[in-house]
Amino acid sequence: MNPSVVFIADRNRGRTPGSSPPRFPGFDVLNEVDRWDAVTAGVVLARLTPSPELSFFTGVEQATAEALCDQLLAQHEEPRIPVAALIDVRLATGETDGWHYADMPEDAQAWRQTLAFLDNDAKRQGGTSLSQLGQQQQAALVQAVQELDAQSWHGLPATHVWSLWTRYACTAFYSHPWAWNEIGFPGPAYPRGYKNMGLDAREKFEVADAANTDPVPWTRRAEAAKRRQAAAVTGESS
Amino acid sequence: MKLGTNLSLYGDVRDRNESAWLLPSSPGFPHRLRDEMTRYDERDEVDIVIVGCGAGGGTLAQRLARAGWSVVALDAGPFWDPETDWVSDERGSHSLYWTDPRVISGADPVPLGSNNSGRGVGGSMVHYAGYTPRFHPSDFATFTGDGVGADWPISYTDLRPYYEQLEQELPVAGQDWPWGDPHSYPFHAQPISGNGDVFIAGCEKLGIPARVGPVAIANGRFGNRPRCIYRGFCLQGCKVNAKASPLITHIPDALAHGAEIRAHCHVSKVLVDDHTGRATGVTYFKDGIEHRQRARMVAVAGYSIETPRLLLLSASNRFKDGLCNDDGQVGRYVMVQGAPQTAGRFEAEVRMYKGPPPEVSCEQFYETDPAKPYKRGFSIQTVSPLPITYAEHVVAQGHWGESLREYMRDYVHWASLGALCELLPLHSNAVTLSDEVDRHGLPVANFHYSMGENDKQLMAAAQTKMEEILRAAGATETMTIRRFAHLVGGCRMARSPKDGVVNAEQRTFAVPNLYITDGSVLPTQGSANPALTIMSLAARVADHLTAHQHTGPAAAAEARHG
Repeated sequence: MNPSVVFIADRNRGRTPGSSPPRFPGFDVLNEVDRWDAVTAGVVLARLTPSPELSFFTGVEQATAEALCDQLLAQHEEPRIPVAALIDVRLATGETDGWHYADMPEDAQAWRQTLAFLDNDAKRQGGTSLSQLGQQQQAALVQAVQELDAQSWHGLPATHVWSLWTRYACTAFYSHPWAWNEIGFPGPAYPRGYKNMGLDAREKFEVADAANTDPVPWTRRAEAAKRRQAAAVTGESS
Repeated sequence: MKLGTNLSLYGDVRDRNESAWLLPSSPGFPHRLRDEMTRYDERDEVDIVIVGCGAGGGTLAQRLARAGWSVVALDAGPFWDPETDWVSDERGSHSLYWTDPRVISGADPVPLGSNNSGRGVGGSMVHYAGYTPRFHPSDFATFTGDGVGADWPISYTDLRPYYEQLEQELPVAGQDWPWGDPHSYPFHAQPISGNGDVFIAGCEKLGIPARVGPVAIANGRFGNRPRCIYRGFCLQGCKVNAKASPLITHIPDALAHGAEIRAHCHVSKVLVDDHTGRATGVTYFKDGIEHRQRARMVAVAGYSIETPRLLLLSASNRFKDGLCNDDGQVGRYVMVQGAPQTAGRFEAEVRMYKGPPPEVSCEQFYETDPAKPYKRGFSIQTVSPLPITYAEHVVAQGHWGESLREYMRDYVHWASLGALCELLPLHSNAVTLSDEVDRHGLPVANFHYSMGENDKQLMAAAQTKMEEILRAAGATETMTIRRFAHLVGGCRMARSPKDGVVNAEQRTFAVPNLYITDGSVLPTQGSANPALTIMSLAARVADHLTAHQHTGPAAAAEARHG
């Protein structure tokens, strides 16, 4: 294998974002990198080394974008998937989803505007920008946009703003091998393919789920708590 | 009779369409065929210029080239090589989609791009799942039969011979089909994965019939096309060449019979001589320069958004409101299927990313049930969203932050089903020109879409049915994302120009040598994935055109050269 591929793979061995104990202990999609086709390997490995020099976001926008993406994807500790940097690459090259809502500007413009709106909201909370607020205040601001639903947020339909942010953020995060390690997804599968089909059937390189926890009851409790907390934060400042 | 066990039938397909045998035995595309492709001069008046090389355009090009017509087919996107251009990766497959700007509006705006719009040779079939069901006979007369939608100017029996031809050429694998016009498939059904097992188990519990297929992936080798490796990336372009798309099922044979496929050519206008009222060719942009291709006949096959857009952009002194739009029918009655997807959580690991997403279908609820308050129905199929798409499902429940991550960590335990609901055609659901322009300075499409009351009831009923099936199979939790799939309509076929843009032969009412050969001609959509029907309609148009070839363009060309 190409030595630089080995180098990139080694530096990323078995990583998951953050420090929670993994659901799939020891699972590492990069163990299989020599069984991927070269074109796919090139595309995927490039995500592990995005340029830290952003070209679309201004410095101010970058800080706000990173704070927003950290909230949307609960990246509160290292190692972090560089979500804002991956979004920056798309916006710099104009790689949209091929449509935008008639009541929204085109995507690049919409990102710039909505990041500025978030900083405006942060100023109203007594901060200077979103990134300068505490975690709970940031979460409350983001939550407030989601809760507006179809209503207007700074003149844009909040639900369409939410769609823009989450589409770009999730696309970046779940394209990254560390995220695949976290969810037990082996990533590229050509020319290898799969052989063992059926419930609880695994390939040699797949790892069994060590926790098997239904996310529904936990998230119900966590989201109720988050809403209470947001209400308290917003209440304090108003 | 099954292909693979019956060599004479195999040979019959090869006699009609040699594409699978023209492909290299190793992965990729036959570059020699491409390098040695016929190249026409722009000043040549070719028999036909075809706009778009997807399901409709690709099939038409192959049929007409085989009949000896001089064919130039233009596509805005690349001429793909599956081995070097496509990746086994969700995010990296972005270039397969039509991502030029478009605007979406209405009460229920429909996302385009990856969901339903292709770009490049092979069209959207490069990234469709691979389901190739036939329409039911009832689909062709819903107005007469159900009092909703529209009647087609043709019937199921007009299309049946072409369904049979295309099912052999793709080829299609599946169990014997009990619904609509009962039929069998040339290939036996594929083995299925955990996601398919769940669907079948749930249906069995409830006494609902389900069948494996119909999927355009051969169960075994087909010509030089290898068997499926159960990679699970059908929606990202099949690098294996196992899943059918016109790029490998029709374009190789078209090239071998002298068609020219001109990639990276964005057609800007259909040219019409205002005096004779006939189409004379097209203009197109390549590398920023505008070119013109002369032709004796034009076929537009750009699908439900770009075909109406092109006609509207082709206004002339004679056609001030857009070509073929004297009756205001261009861009009207665009349809999408209601496509809610319901996921269910299982104690066992399902790992739905393994194996092709298209596996098992149920068409038991396809037609009108007199006991229900709504008309027409829905089908249910397995779907297997990969992580980025699955994250959209989770976000659609309102989860973000740690909740989103927690749901995603549980990905391997969820199975997914998708419904296709027959949403009805409405005049107000339309493609128009926006104020925004693309990189060539051409106004982009605005697609306005709003559901009707019947549509909403169908979406809800389909969701309930999928929840029942998943629960019966043992799901402890379910979640549903409301979404849309597929596009048809926009230049529908009709008996009279008051009701549509093309006649039963898909010739435009307004211009005698202009045809539309894509999904935009469908008056209704059933609950079936449209690819097979679009290809079959194009094959039928080709038969109609070549039946007249002694007096048609090819004969004229012969006379001129001879």
